[in-house]
Amino acid sequence: MKEPIVMEGLTKRYGGFLALDGLSLRVGEGEKVALLGPNGAGKTTALKLLCGLLRPSAGRAWLAGFDVVEEREEAVARVGVMVETPEFYSFLTPEETLRYLGLLRGMDGGRLEERIEEVLELVGLGERRRTRIGSFSRGMKQRLALAQALLHDPPILLLDEPSSGLDPGGMLEFRRILREAGKRKTVLLASHLLTEVSHLCGRVAILHRGRLVAHRSLSSLRRKYGSLEKAYLGLTGGAV
Amino acid sequence: MRELDRLGVVVRYEFLKQYRRRRFYGATVVVVLAVVLSAAMCEGWDLLARMGLPARLLEEKGAELFALWVSSMSALALLAAVFFSGDVLASEFERGTGYLLFPNPVGRGTLVLGKYLACLLATVLVLGAGFLLSALLTLAFYGRVPLGMAGSFGVTLAIAVFVNGMAFAFSSALKGGTGATLATLLTYMVLFSTVSTGLSHAGHEPWFMPDRASDAMASTYGISFEEAFGEMVGGGQAMGRMVRASGDPVVASLLLTGYGMGLLGFSVWRFRRREMA
Repeated sequence: MKEPIVMEGLTKRYGGFLALDGLSLRVGEGEKVALLGPNGAGKTTALKLLCGLLRPSAGRAWLAGFDVVEEREEAVARVGVMVETPEFYSFLTPEETLRYLGLLRGMDGGRLEERIEEVLELVGLGERRRTRIGSFSRGMKQRLALAQALLHDPPILLLDEPSSGLDPGGMLEFRRILREAGKRKTVLLASHLLTEVSHLCGRVAILHRGRLVAHRSLSSLRRKYGSLEKAYLGLTGGAV
Repeated sequence: MRELDRLGVVVRYEFLKQYRRRRFYGATVVVVLAVVLSAAMCEGWDLLARMGLPARLLEEKGAELFALWVSSMSALALLAAVFFSGDVLASEFERGTGYLLFPNPVGRGTLVLGKYLACLLATVLVLGAGFLLSALLTLAFYGRVPLGMAGSFGVTLAIAVFVNGMAFAFSSALKGGTGATLATLLTYMVLFSTVSTGLSHAGHEPWFMPDRASDAMASTYGISFEEAFGEMVGGGQAMGRMVRASGDPVVASLLLTGYGMGLLGFSVWRFRRREMA
């Protein structure tokens, strides 16, 4: 299996509700693909299935060639994840949180300390490294969430609405950081912010009511529909 | 990286989280105050004699009775254990911190075990502070520390293993940390004693009930409960039966540890199956 991210017939049911309906998608090495769709389309569910937070009702998925159910630990070891609104242990500092997660990932002392410093500087939290997270704003938590996703320098990033809840200035800066950090990485980003998607991704997979309705390059969608907005509205029946 | 190394990491950071919480210091202060106040009442008001304990027993086993009375206040730390453990697993889902913790290459079983050991360590530290203070006060007033106190501490540790296990079981199964904490407290303080009392009245010795096993911490001092409290309750039906049920400390400790491990096993099973929806 060549592609770093592979999903085949991935399905998730919550009781009688079908949240994701047979999603098949491959993301090639170094590609940046956006999962685009209205609320409830199945974007977050797909990411949660990939990183083992949910178990699929049917279908399979692989990260870096490892089955996300059968070889969950091998699979998530190669991934940086940022899912949903990030919450942290309020009694720990950013430095302690990153050290905890880094040690769980098997990073050794010297390299770990180096990376903690690098990623905290990258997301602009260098000066707050020893402040307890309990006093952090949502924007600061978003930054820290990105820092923990990048800590072990994973080849794959799974990001769910990474800049939601930030003010316009914060969003711009966050996208700049993501562009910089995402170089040479395979990125699957779930979002319903079309601007964010067009700034960060080269390909788009549009989901609607749990089903994949399009998977094309941004440029081909623009050629066919005139703009990403029109493509999105046309393929999702105007749902937001 | 071996799973055992990861377990060590989880224990270290989970304990750090407990150590930084106000409830850890609150529990320590409450236990220290309870021990000091009970010692003051005991010595200042001659409480044990006023309670009607036989004079001969007070003369022979004064230090043991004092140590039992004062150190039993340390058992308040067991309630603190519920507050340490009740929300530990549930909060990962309730507060969303699981989104941060679970996508790491560490087994859910290791996470539960590490969190459990961290909570147990926090409980033992608070309990230890209470018992140490009790030992020092006994030494100050009676010039010696009864050996039974070590046994009593051992039984209390077994209770801590059980109480933490029960809190983890509720925490792994219920949605919220508050619900898990309340369920643990109500089960331990109301449900168990209701069942035990019912069994006593029905003529069945409830030696296997966790609350009865807890009474065994007194047996380590070599004090006969019937001798100590028999006259006090005037042969009262319920008390008399409860007194007879005070069990062997070794059996009680094994029973409580077994229950605790069983509940911990259930927590691992439940936590592994739980999804972060």
